[in-house]
Amino acid sequence: MDIIFDYISVGTFWTILLIVHSLLAVATLGALTHQAMSVAMPVRQATAPAGFVTRFRSVYGAGYATAICLLWVLTFILGAWIYTKYRIAIRIPLERTGYWKTLGFFELKEHVAALGLGVLPAYWYFWKNAKNPKYNHVRKWLTILLAAMCWFAFLVGHVLNNSRGFA
Amino acid sequence: MTTVAEPTRSGAKASSLAASEAFGTFAVAFAIAAPIIYVVSELASLPLFTYHPGTGRIDLGWTAARPNEGPAMYWYGWIATMLLGSAAAGALATLLPRRVSENMPLFLTWLLPLLVLPILAYALMPFWTR
Repeated sequence: MDIIFDYISVGTFWTILLIVHSLLAVATLGALTHQAMSVAMPVRQATAPAGFVTRFRSVYGAGYATAICLLWVLTFILGAWIYTKYRIAIRIPLERTGYWKTLGFFELKEHVAALGLGVLPAYWYFWKNAKNPKYNHVRKWLTILLAAMCWFAFLVGHVLNNSRGFA
Repeated sequence: MTTVAEPTRSGAKASSLAASEAFGTFAVAFAIAAPIIYVVSELASLPLFTYHPGTGRIDLGWTAARPNEGPAMYWYGWIATMLLGSAAAGALATLLPRRVSENMPLFLTWLLPLLVLPILAYALMPFWTR
């Protein structure tokens, strides 16, 4: 780690990690939103030319499952690493300035991310058995739940970064 | 006649893990156990370890922050408790008779994480009331 800090400052290092974490989160968010739309509003045989929304929800959801699991885990690991720095460099100054609700939502986001991690094996299994009608209902609601969790985590992380970043 | 595009699309051949009933049982039991274990671990202060980011020290179980050493972090420990406990629950579930494992309530995999969220939000009350 010290070799890295010969070339970039500590603040720059953590900012780069945070940006990579954010980009991974964007990828997870996009994939999960497509997939959730595909199960919440499945495309039926079209009689008219497909518009943007129809094309958006007409993805092959099963093809996203493994990528979403990997993205969630990678985003989670990077976020967990950044969390160590956040606890001292970000949270303590925000506590001093009274951003209690922002901090509370961030702690809730960490819970949400952990709960999402717990359902990933089942989520992956249900999608990899997409032709089994027994799993249709649970696959739909688990995907919608994960998408909602991802949106919540993304927005809270974004607001917190606006409140105070690493730089 | 309307058809849903999803299930009728031909996909790649399922992997051996995806085709394994034992893995399916493991995954469902894991997903049901995870939110329960996580919330109990949080409320009952049962993290597998405590991390002290100021000094980089790791203590087994729950330990309080030490004076002049900065805060203590329990989130990593709660996750470790959840992952280990859920893996154990999943492994045990694979030993159940098939008629039992086949009838595990699948809806709990998405309902339980939703139900524990208000509890976890309530546990963060100091943040909401300051």
